[in-house]
Amino acid sequence: MRTSLLSPLDQTAACPRRRNAEPTMAQLVGPLRKELADSLSSCRVLVVGAGGIGCELLKNLVLTGFKNIEVIDLDTIDVSNLNRQFLFQKKHVGKSKAQVAKESVLRFCPSANITAYHDSIMNPDYNVEFFRNFQLVMNALDNRAARNHVNRMCLAADIPLIESGTAGYLGQVTVIKKGQTECYECQPKPTQKTFPGCTIRNTPSEPIHCIVWAKYLFNQLFGEEDADQEVSPDTADPEVAWNPADAAARATASNKDGDIKRVSTKEWARSTGYDPVKLFNKLFKDDIMYLLTMDKLWKKRKAPLPLDWTEIHQLESSQEEAFGTGLKDQQVLGVQGYAQLFHRSVETLRSQLIEKGEGAELVWDKDDPPAMDFVTAAANLRMNVFSMNMKSRFDVKSMAGNIIPAIATTNAVIAGLIVLEALKTLNSDFDQCRTVNLQCCSFHAQHNFDGFPNNNKFLSDFGIRNGSRLQADDFLQDYTLLVNLIHSEELEKDVEFEVVGDAPDKAPVSSVPEEGKNIANGNKDSAQPSTSSKAAAEDDDVLIVDSDEEPSSSTMETSLESSNRKRKHHDADTDDAASKRKRLDQQPADDDEDIIALD
Amino acid sequence: MEDNIISEEEAAQYDRQIRLWGLDAQKRLRGSRVLLVGLRGLGAEVAKNLILAGVKGLTLLDHEQVTEESRRAQFLIPVDADGQNQAQASLERAQLLNPMVEVKVDTDAVESKPDDFFFQFDAVCLTRCSKDLMVRVDQLCASRNIKVFCGDVYGYHGYMFSDLGQEHHYVEEKPKVVKGSNEANDGPEAKKGKVDPNETTMVKKTISFCSLKEALEVDWTNEKAKSSLKRTPADYFLLQVLLKFRTDKGRDPQPDSFAEDSQLFLQIRDDVLETMGLSSELLPNTFVSYCFSEMAPVCAVVGGVLGQELVKALSQRDAPHRNFFFFDGLKGSGVVDYFGSK
Repeated sequence: MRTSLLSPLDQTAACPRRRNAEPTMAQLVGPLRKELADSLSSCRVLVVGAGGIGCELLKNLVLTGFKNIEVIDLDTIDVSNLNRQFLFQKKHVGKSKAQVAKESVLRFCPSANITAYHDSIMNPDYNVEFFRNFQLVMNALDNRAARNHVNRMCLAADIPLIESGTAGYLGQVTVIKKGQTECYECQPKPTQKTFPGCTIRNTPSEPIHCIVWAKYLFNQLFGEEDADQEVSPDTADPEVAWNPADAAARATASNKDGDIKRVSTKEWARSTGYDPVKLFNKLFKDDIMYLLTMDKLWKKRKAPLPLDWTEIHQLESSQEEAFGTGLKDQQVLGVQGYAQLFHRSVETLRSQLIEKGEGAELVWDKDDPPAMDFVTAAANLRMNVFSMNMKSRFDVKSMAGNIIPAIATTNAVIAGLIVLEALKTLNSDFDQCRTVNLQCCSFHAQHNFDGFPNNNKFLSDFGIRNGSRLQADDFLQDYTLLVNLIHSEELEKDVEFEVVGDAPDKAPVSSVPEEGKNIANGNKDSAQPSTSSKAAAEDDDVLIVDSDEEPSSSTMETSLESSNRKRKHHDADTDDAASKRKRLDQQPADDDEDIIALD
Repeated sequence: MEDNIISEEEAAQYDRQIRLWGLDAQKRLRGSRVLLVGLRGLGAEVAKNLILAGVKGLTLLDHEQVTEESRRAQFLIPVDADGQNQAQASLERAQLLNPMVEVKVDTDAVESKPDDFFFQFDAVCLTRCSKDLMVRVDQLCASRNIKVFCGDVYGYHGYMFSDLGQEHHYVEEKPKVVKGSNEANDGPEAKKGKVDPNETTMVKKTISFCSLKEALEVDWTNEKAKSSLKRTPADYFLLQVLLKFRTDKGRDPQPDSFAEDSQLFLQIRDDVLETMGLSSELLPNTFVSYCFSEMAPVCAVVGGVLGQELVKALSQRDAPHRNFFFFDGLKGSGVVDYFGSK
């Protein structure tokens, strides 16, 4: 009969415990005892994120009596935020979230001292010293990279962190205190779901496979080509047992479209002038016919059915679901409809490319209508080829854009709980009544984020010596490396170290110099503040705790996908080509790589 | 009742919630008129949540004036609005939250409203109201299928009550059971690729609620009730004490009369529990100092739950909480519990 809706994290009271039975002449400031109210007004707190949770949190903090608040967010306001990020109005669309949040809060609490940063928390300016300014940090984030980062900074600065997340009707709040609780990274978090290359390229069985394929196709045609995002039939698919008798058939099929392996999809498209009909027939007819020659794949699966442009348009138009009372985007078109959509979007994207000039590349964005149209059309055509029920643009957008549904009330509840936990946390510091919980990973204390100050030190200054094992973590790439240090007197002149052995092949492979492709640096770094309505890329993880907002720019997203996909390759052992060796160069570790001494 | 076409503006603004509760639910919300009584901290939270959700109309009713204390946990009232009517002072910012909602103000005392005043609404939400008023409105409304909600925040504590009538119909979305084929895989044994594992189906349900009167007048003297006492949240009794305080004093405990109000509170506690045939130990003295004013984060939590229950009831989607939600901000614990006839 009685169900618990919200469970407390621990039994520390949100207020100093009262030992006497009778109420005394307590001085109250509103609902709070005066001592608590006073301590709140001198406290400095940092709020990381000014979105769904952030807006509610800022409101709760000032109303509770916190006076000194700093808030940081790299994002700008989008119309889809307005159903819950109540500090923003329609007129603010395009502006900085942190900045507008501050202004809105000041309107109902002019005495609050708020500093807003339109920036990424991962910017090295926000170093350990910066974090040490605060008594408490509260995350209101939507991606794992930033959460990991803040987690480490707070451990390094020894500042309590309150972590939280919401998705739909669910939410969670966790307090992280060095030495008392687990940190955010203590428990392994599930990685993003990825699909093997052969599923995407040869044997899709669910709409999501077709959608991922369509996004890859977008990049291959209009965006940055990626070796991990091939869309052509995969001849290296281990399921396909090559039979010499089939060779002739294959050769014929592959000659038709100019030998898949040697010409890139983009080059081929260019050579046809991005002709939509030719593209259509290659992707949905010729390539499918090629797949059909790999007959072992179709022994127990329904074989794909190629489409032909001319034939489709000779058929009578299929009955399309009445527009009627649904959202326009929720309509499911027929094959002809999606063929038309494909045609139109290719033409539009082609124009965009031309406008941008030589060597231009487009970046996929779910909020860019032709880009979204293209993926909707291409994915649906492929679904049709593989006999799947087609999906509306509305549904495709959810899946392609990793949209997490979100409402105001869940964020309101979670932000309320965050502040109550904040009071408990600060209170236990004042009162020295700690609740000791689980063990922490004590070696995290040795994280060192100020890369430059260390350059003049010796390894021995860090307790690193002969026989030490180092664990290097690059959480942006989701890549871990274990290094054994062995002292040697036998190195060549001027050589300070030598690397022997194989690195685990978990890093993304690039066909261009590594610096250009390194996800952690340069123009793919999501640390750049956005000046348009495109958010920097976010985590694709669909787990409750990790996502509130959805990514709208795919650069980082697809890079993360590819690196994860590579790991999947490795784990699933399905792709021999994945065994590659990473060359370690002799550059000092950059800010994104943490060295943790294990002994 | 509902306007069937959603505009592009609405589709864009409500996108993230339509993806959660569906277009039908959004349409029902769009056709709903709600009365919200009491615009202190909790009222402001509920107002925000309903306006953002996109109801058709929200009437803010409050006869009281803004004071420094009353706007402590209230983010809709400007700091220079002391002396103005609370509902009136909240209007501008409330409307700005979502121009597509008709936000209205009523400065009358709710006690003075005739019965038929309430019949123009699909749901009423009563905060800061006396027990008698709440019982009266509940009796009026529930029989006319007007959803009734009550809620308050007192210091670190808060509660919500709902009466959705004898027959509340709603739907729940359940995953569809697809016979035969499993999740597709890529092995040679793969089945045909026609399955969409994400298909769901809507299941219709009906549930009944008891009146507020019944819920508050549980007989604790019989053996069955006594045995359930251990599992009963103390907040239920705290609510009874506070409602009596409100009736006797015409107001809630105030920080600037902490000493006398605390004494009075303890005395009322003794009276109320004795009348119920229960021990004063159910509510230790320590409760008192945590029942003053409104804690903003507690308003946020209770207002969030209350707001979502209103959305569920109006959209007739998803199982409602039945029939109380109690939140203890000191412990951080929230429980849903049922009081009243089964």
